[in-house]
Amino acid sequence: MNVGAILIGMLPEHLLLGGVVTLMLAEIAGRREAGFAIALGAVLAALAAAGWMALTGFAGTPFPGHLSVDALAVTGKLLVLGLAFPVLLVSRDDFRDTRYYALLLSSLYGASLIPAAESFTTLFLAIELLSLPVYVLVMIGMQRPGGTEAALKYLVLGSTATAMLLMGISLLYGVTGSMAITAFADGLSGGQPLALAGAALVVLALLLKSAIVPFHAWAPDAYEAACVPVTAHMASIVKSGALLAALTVIGTTTLPASLLMLIATLALASMAWGNLAAIGQAGFRRLFAYSSIAHAGYLWFAFLGAGEGRSEAIVYYLIAYALMGLVAFSALPRGTDDAREDRLAALQGLFHRQPLAAVLLAAAMLSLAGLPPLPGFVAKFLVFQNVLAAGHVALAVLGLLASYLGLYVYLRVVQALFMAESPADASARPRALAWLALTLTALPAGWLMFFPGSVLGLL
Amino acid sequence: MADSALLNLVLWLPFAGMLALALLPAARAELIRGLSLALMAVQFALVAWLVARFDPAQGLQFATDLPWIPDWGVHYRIGLDGYNVLLVALTAFLGPLVVLGAQRAVTKDLKLFHAMIQGIQFAMLGTFLAQDLFVFYVFWEAMLIPMFLIIGIWGGERRVYATMKFVLYTAFGSILMLAALIYLVWTLNQTTGVRSFAFADLIGLNLPLDAQLWLLAAFGLSFAIKVPMVPLHTWLPDAHVEAPTTGSVILAGVLLKMGTYGFLKLGFPLFPEATRELAPWLMGLSVAGILYGACLALVQDDIKKVIAYSSISHLGYVMIGLLSFELVGIQGAIVQMVSHGLVAGGLFLMVGMIYERCHSRKIADYGGLAKLMPLYSVAFLLLTLASVGLPTTSGFTGEFMALLGAFAAGWKAQAAGDSLMLVYAVLAVLGVVLGALYMLRLAGALLFGAERAPHAPLNDLDGRERAILVAILAAVFWLGLAPGPALELTEGAAREYRAIVLGHAATEGGQ
Repeated sequence: MNVGAILIGMLPEHLLLGGVVTLMLAEIAGRREAGFAIALGAVLAALAAAGWMALTGFAGTPFPGHLSVDALAVTGKLLVLGLAFPVLLVSRDDFRDTRYYALLLSSLYGASLIPAAESFTTLFLAIELLSLPVYVLVMIGMQRPGGTEAALKYLVLGSTATAMLLMGISLLYGVTGSMAITAFADGLSGGQPLALAGAALVVLALLLKSAIVPFHAWAPDAYEAACVPVTAHMASIVKSGALLAALTVIGTTTLPASLLMLIATLALASMAWGNLAAIGQAGFRRLFAYSSIAHAGYLWFAFLGAGEGRSEAIVYYLIAYALMGLVAFSALPRGTDDAREDRLAALQGLFHRQPLAAVLLAAAMLSLAGLPPLPGFVAKFLVFQNVLAAGHVALAVLGLLASYLGLYVYLRVVQALFMAESPADASARPRALAWLALTLTALPAGWLMFFPGSVLGLL
Repeated sequence: MADSALLNLVLWLPFAGMLALALLPAARAELIRGLSLALMAVQFALVAWLVARFDPAQGLQFATDLPWIPDWGVHYRIGLDGYNVLLVALTAFLGPLVVLGAQRAVTKDLKLFHAMIQGIQFAMLGTFLAQDLFVFYVFWEAMLIPMFLIIGIWGGERRVYATMKFVLYTAFGSILMLAALIYLVWTLNQTTGVRSFAFADLIGLNLPLDAQLWLLAAFGLSFAIKVPMVPLHTWLPDAHVEAPTTGSVILAGVLLKMGTYGFLKLGFPLFPEATRELAPWLMGLSVAGILYGACLALVQDDIKKVIAYSSISHLGYVMIGLLSFELVGIQGAIVQMVSHGLVAGGLFLMVGMIYERCHSRKIADYGGLAKLMPLYSVAFLLLTLASVGLPTTSGFTGEFMALLGAFAAGWKAQAAGDSLMLVYAVLAVLGVVLGALYMLRLAGALLFGAERAPHAPLNDLDGRERAILVAILAAVFWLGLAPGPALELTEGAAREYRAIVLGHAATEGGQ
């Protein structure tokens, strides 16, 4: 066993684990208020470690056959850890104890592990480690009476995904005799029906985790029931984790037509339904959940592209999507009454109360709509360009038309922000640390807007 | 080299202005207005200097070409050429007038208003100057956001409905254009191995006819919505009527030219075979637009609606000029774009002036303004005559040349045994008659008859308003009396456009 590789190759994860342990010790010692500081330290240290790995071009194999760190894995780690920083910042005012941060760090550990997984065992563990704490996190805020119900729904559907994933892995193992991730590609290339069934189950499980229609029903409830920081976590890190898992499994594999059509159909259905259902929502987080369903559709659409372009398209899309999502969540006015503030009506006239927050929130919405020159446009362009280049002209056109359906929803939010009168009782405003989170997400988003080439060149 | 830096300055000045305005304290209204006006004036001065140095004998000038997304072959390519030079001049010319025109009308959210005016100026100039399809698309779409806010915040009663309709209509066209754009660039890469979005690379691409037809349909839908061509025009009256004066002026003055400019610069040259194939259909739609717009303008009771529907009619002439494929028609089309920008922009400004005084746009509310506001009436009458296309005004130059082109094309087609084009040309002339009818009806109702106004006594034009109208009228008469320099600037581009659109036919005929 290569101790050096284990120590260095998993350094970000070790630092996160160190954070979890310290948090538990603090809980025992009765220093619960230190939770935020410890978590922040652990995440920043892990981020620095991942940054160092990216700068030095680190590659290593801590556990041969199970865990291997390559450039894509480092990029994935950098992505989720980078997103964790603003998520933590918006959490501080809602959660001052250790439990929340211990759960968040555990979830982060799973997300950070996913892109490095080389075997289905590791991948399974990482996905579960990512998801299990989130079931609790949805409930922990208890903002809504329906919180427990939503968490249970999420848990049950999440467990269904777990079951499907396990069943798929067993089928693939049965055909190929291997637990390695490559069993997915090997099984498919064999062309046996059993392997195809296994691969399809694995894909379906990952589709469920990404909240793709028809497996999306948990998302609106969970997003709405959770409080803002947990929703921000789900919309950015958990979503990224699910897509990175899909990228790890599918990678550059040439998918058989049946599987391709399955993904294309469900992704298109997600775009269309997510965008349409979002129109009727009165709550901001529910609206965002439906929007995230549509965006999961765009992300999965990238798998229709040729193998080599997929990781670039998906990672770039995740960066643009998660950054703008976090901009939106940081810019939200927050007060004491969550149920009231979550209503879309509470955002009316925000421009007259908090001009900067309103402008950034509007920019986030228009970026999610994919309007140039905002970062979401280049991301969407890249996805559809790859799909079209792979020869799926009709699908690309359908996808673009489905994305058009979303425009109205986002315009409606902008309209509320700028063109409506403030409600009489509006006193909520973004919190102090949320401003820092806003700066930390808006600046890179601005960079992405003006210099998309610089980031695309790195991927 | 220095000149290309100057062109970049012209483009980015409004962007910098937008940021600078955002940093000013909202309470300093005079400072905000002053800065906004100063930026526009400086920009116009720079554009005037560049246009004066523009050499008609050469193609693209003052160009910049920097890699933007190198992996995809996207370059930041901008430059002045015969296609865009007059439209850039028009945009820069209207800029200060738009800011001046809004001096009194806009008081709500002043800072955001001026930031958005600068923002849309940036996007419009970028769309005209772009020489790279990706850059073009980004600017093209970026125009939506400021316009969405301008109509939606400072507009009339049904502003939210109107602005949503405007954005949803135009964005639908854009999404199909995006699909076509991706396909086009991918095809270029497939056939030549070049990854590029440059107009120059894409225009040489020889696509099969059926692909050309699909792509032209996608690009054309986007442009046709913007023009707007009948039957895709229904967003325009709503947007115009609900928009604040400034919004209407920008819409009529510059934004409506985006569609026809798109056809001239991209739509037709990119897909020449399909263009020739579809030309009779497009010509028919344009003539239908001329007549339909004119007929609708005849029966409106709202001043703004008359001018809005007249825009549909007047832009039809641009389309028939472009589709005549005759040099005189093409040049006429370009002049008509500028002329309509000046005349319709001026008329909307004048509607704004009377609306500020009386808060009504109903034709029936007014009468005998010639006695109540003599100066106003003179200016209104002159713009009316320019809109009708009276000789010595810019409207005459544009419409006459466009019609001349249509007739020339019609005679040629007639000689070849196809009289449809000639019929279209004759019908288009009918539009001129209708145009005289509705504009003179409007002017007659407003200016003559019993003296009547919702708000008396009325002050005649003040110094600011006089300055605006003198500038516009000077430009209108300049283009009408001495169109030579303007035609000289665009001649090269018109020849090039004609050669590209007809060029492949010649080689085909030889085969």
